[in-house]
Amino acid sequence: MSFILNGESREIPSEWADEPLLYLLREHFGLTGAKYGCGVGICGACTVIVEGDAVRSCVMRAGDVEGVAVRTVEELAAGERLHPVQRAWLDLAVPQCGYCQSGQIMAAVALLEQTPRPSETEIEAAMDGNLCRCGTYRRIRAAITRAAEAV
Amino acid sequence: MRRRALLAAAGGGLVALIGAGATVWSRVPVIPKRPQPDAETALGWIAHRDGRYTLTLPRAEMGQNITTALKQVACAELGVDWNAVEVRAHDTDMSEVKAPVGSESVMLFAEPLAQACAALRDALKAGRSAGAVTVAPRPLAALNAFRAGGQIGASPEIAQGREIVTGAPLYAADVARPGMLFGRVLRAPASTEVASRPARMNLAAARSVPGFVAVVEDCGPPIGKARGIGIVARRPGALDAIAEALSVDWEIEGTHPRADIASVVDIDSRLAEGPLPHRVLEGKPEQGPWNVDLRIDIPLAAHGPIEPRAAVAEWRGGALQVWSGTQDAFYIRDFLADAFGLGRDAVTVQSCRIGGAFGGRTICTVEAEAAALARAAGAPVKIQWTRAQEFALGFHRPPSSHRIRTRVTDGRIADWVHEQVSSHILFTAAAVPAWMQRATDLVAGDGGVARGMAAPYLLGRARAAYNAIRLPVHTGPWRGLGGGPNALAIESAVDEAALAAGADPLAFRLAHVEDPRLAAVLTRVGEIASWGNPTVLKEGQERTGRGIACGIYKGVSYAAAVADVAVDRSGTARVTRLWCVHDCGLVINPGQVRAQCEGNLVWSIGMVLSDELLSEEGRVVAETFGDAPIPRMTEVPPITVDLIQSNRPPSGAGETVIVVGPGAIANAIRTATGRRPRRFPLQTEEFAT
Repeated sequence: MSFILNGESREIPSEWADEPLLYLLREHFGLTGAKYGCGVGICGACTVIVEGDAVRSCVMRAGDVEGVAVRTVEELAAGERLHPVQRAWLDLAVPQCGYCQSGQIMAAVALLEQTPRPSETEIEAAMDGNLCRCGTYRRIRAAITRAAEAV
Repeated sequence: MRRRALLAAAGGGLVALIGAGATVWSRVPVIPKRPQPDAETALGWIAHRDGRYTLTLPRAEMGQNITTALKQVACAELGVDWNAVEVRAHDTDMSEVKAPVGSESVMLFAEPLAQACAALRDALKAGRSAGAVTVAPRPLAALNAFRAGGQIGASPEIAQGREIVTGAPLYAADVARPGMLFGRVLRAPASTEVASRPARMNLAAARSVPGFVAVVEDCGPPIGKARGIGIVARRPGALDAIAEALSVDWEIEGTHPRADIASVVDIDSRLAEGPLPHRVLEGKPEQGPWNVDLRIDIPLAAHGPIEPRAAVAEWRGGALQVWSGTQDAFYIRDFLADAFGLGRDAVTVQSCRIGGAFGGRTICTVEAEAAALARAAGAPVKIQWTRAQEFALGFHRPPSSHRIRTRVTDGRIADWVHEQVSSHILFTAAAVPAWMQRATDLVAGDGGVARGMAAPYLLGRARAAYNAIRLPVHTGPWRGLGGGPNALAIESAVDEAALAAGADPLAFRLAHVEDPRLAAVLTRVGEIASWGNPTVLKEGQERTGRGIACGIYKGVSYAAAVADVAVDRSGTARVTRLWCVHDCGLVINPGQVRAQCEGNLVWSIGMVLSDELLSEEGRVVAETFGDAPIPRMTEVPPITVDLIQSNRPPSGAGETVIVVGPGAIANAIRTATGRRPRRFPLQTEEFAT
């Protein structure tokens, strides 16, 4: 059983097939960007991109991504060169505690890939399900707008 | 409890474990030590080698971005480039310092760090390249770090920002160790103030779950009176299935006598029993009819950080290493040493970045669970609490019930009485047993409940008093402690007093303010929000209104806020615009002080519109963010933050604005609807038309 993880074909060991995709990524592959926040798909801290869509990896079975392309926050930067969304996140100092931000960034990347010039309403529709307790929402909006201009 | 061998499995790759020995957990709590930082201690935070500097961060990083601020202080005082200083998180090998609570990190740590850096800089300049440096503290005016310019007053790229946006490991749950297993400690669905323990369970079913490793009876100290049963698995996702298969029957010793929290935290029924024991203001108001007689009720609320607490524990010989996102690594070390009968030298706690703390990461829970399971399993163990465990087993903002009465004479507040019943904050039941709390109640009260009860106004003959009652749900520090709820009650009452006086709320406040810094933030917020000429957004049938509030946090930081709201016909309110002015003295990093103001304003929206943690029969029943929602992007309007330029020594910024945002929003709802919000979160049906 294999899938495409950040552009490379990787095996899903059979004993991990019934785990949530989140734990396969974090504990088997050591990709710590996606976070456990709620375990039931409400908060969005575990957001990764599966076949172009932002999905909640905590409620997706690892075995169900067989043959599918999964992208995590770790693949965005090319060496030292950050993705425009990551760059905007740093330029506007979006993160406070930072825990939800990898999920926010992946939701924003999926949005901009599908809608390169999102309206405020489109940003809200794509992002409202990603929770941030520190309250960085205004900066997230601004960073998405800035990244859209930079792409 | 009778100890039994729970598991003696052989073969099949299972680790055999037994419930070991009759551990008696300590009944005397470990008290956190809070030594004040000084310049001598600060020398231990900064080191120099071959032109490069290492700053060992003496604080926990939890989103206040203190890493960035203290690095700015170090660079400014050393006179070196941003990249010359590398910052590292501390472990408990560093000299013990006060934990990051109460917005003190810049206020108390910037100066000692600057003094140490100045001494190091001068020693290097004098040609010394090895050996110890001594500090001769100099006046603030002689420190570069206390003058705006260069790094001071700048907003450089936040420290660890690159790691955050690239997903690099920073948090406790990101730690991986060779051979690491995954654990959880199950506890009864009951009040943590009622004794409970596992009675029966289906071990055979648990054992048959793929990934099962062990069931562990000795799973660390109880949380409150809730004894648990530990489970260990090879993969974290197996824990849910093991817990379900184990199907533990719990022995729960009766119900809590104060299980109906709402009837206990009820100011009127409490006042009917007699006067409140703890006085904050000692004036003697005249009795008789009041112009304002207002009851405000604010419920139990969760911190709701997105990161549920996590720890990794590893034993090497008799030594214990723990990775934890804690506000107080030293307290965790002392607690673990006490719990596991170790010398402090045998325990090392590595501080990890915290995914949101807000006061909730000040006790030891998951660390002791991980240590116990790692000891039993003979392997490193990672535990991250589930969201439901965060709600059920953490401590929370206590509910509070307030009654404020004021008399307005000739346009001024002449008499003021504020009475409050709540539960403990500083002497939290999560760490302080009932017998000890009776003693603290007698001699000290609870300064956390009292925080902010002395309103920052000229109140005439003013009295304020409170009572903290131990509840079946644990309560404790939550951003701003009592400051947020007290200010919400006070600012509501002051607004009603202004109405009774027929005065403009801003002018009425200014007339009752003595402190020029408070008057300055009030005046300024009126200017930036065009207080006299509001253009409030309006859509369709919505009622719109504007409100104002001001406050002082811990006597050192000042803020004022203006809010615009719109309330629809169903009574649902949304905040449409927020302005805030903050004065915390010299600003090291304006970008991050603004971030703290923005965060507190979002918390303010939550305090008024949504924060509530539901309990039934003395236990929290919320399990998800669906049950205990936090503000979403669409609830947060445009925010304008203005910082007062000041050369006064820096104070704190992490909590100030939570004393002004909620009042401004509640007062705006009052203006919009003509009806005073009295029960929080807002009861929409009361505001429907």
